[in-house]
Amino acid sequence: MFRLFPTPAWFNSWDIAFGIIIFLVALLIAGYSWRIFRLHKENRFAYFALAFIMIASSLFFKVMTNGVLYFQPIRDTAANVLQPIVTPNTLFADLFYRLGFFLEMAPMLGGLLLIYLISQKKRERLNKYYEVSQIALFIYLVLLISIVSNFTFFVFYLTSTVLLALIVLNYYKNYLNNNNKNTFKVMVAFLLGMFANIFFIFVFIWEGFYFFGETLLLIGFFILLITYNRIMRSK
Amino acid sequence: MASRRSRLELVADILLAIQNKGGRIKPTHLMYKSNLSHKLLNSYLEELISKGMVSIQEEIIKKREAPQKTIIITDKGLNFLAEFRRMREFTETFGL
Repeated sequence: MFRLFPTPAWFNSWDIAFGIIIFLVALLIAGYSWRIFRLHKENRFAYFALAFIMIASSLFFKVMTNGVLYFQPIRDTAANVLQPIVTPNTLFADLFYRLGFFLEMAPMLGGLLLIYLISQKKRERLNKYYEVSQIALFIYLVLLISIVSNFTFFVFYLTSTVLLALIVLNYYKNYLNNNNKNTFKVMVAFLLGMFANIFFIFVFIWEGFYFFGETLLLIGFFILLITYNRIMRSK
Repeated sequence: MASRRSRLELVADILLAIQNKGGRIKPTHLMYKSNLSHKLLNSYLEELISKGMVSIQEEIIKKREAPQKTIIITDKGLNFLAEFRRMREFTETFGL
């Protein structure tokens, strides 16, 4: 069966639970940003909501793909449903997982890219033509990387690491400007996400790195959840 | 130079000015505190009254004079202000 990279067997299904938690946190943030957009009618809030929806959908596809991979009953059901379209020459499992990983990678990279663009302070960046040309170029790169990553998985994690490093830098600048503790927490959350992706790059050396990466990612999103909760509780 | 205030920010500034005065304020004071023209303030106040965020109370101070108006912030207005603060904190936190 096709596997993108080896993961520790004892951790299988735990990563699904982690993924569901991260998925819910991302949806929560997207939902609130969308609510602000409906009041303010400013594009940046819609883009931010879209970025977190993309991250959530990436997690959704990851959970679905891993769910089919880990659990025999789900695998059998999926095989039965798709049997009519499979020919003897079709490497169905390969196609399924490659599509699954593509649907995991493309929205994740797109979402991170959007967060990077939004977290830049220059308001002119989202001007009409500039915006369209930039987004078109980025969509092309995201698709290219997502396809290439299906054959060399670390390209995806390397690109995510670079994007997260740029996001961390933006939030650090933002923190220096406003000295807000919550901004600092968001920066730390993205920093943990960056370290998580560094661990994922080296999974081919030792599969245990996958566990450390997933844990760091979960802690990062927990920090985002705590920050969100703190904002919602403020009067 | 400070950027122009959005419509939502203007509404929040009006409500904040009322809240800072203990929940009730005279129209002239509100005009100065919110830094708006008389015409603009009235149009915003009409909207806020229609949405139930503020109410107008008329008080007779002296018998021969016309009743004085006082603008009062309602619970709905206070809730909006709290929500606006949360939104601003969210915006600042996430660098939007």
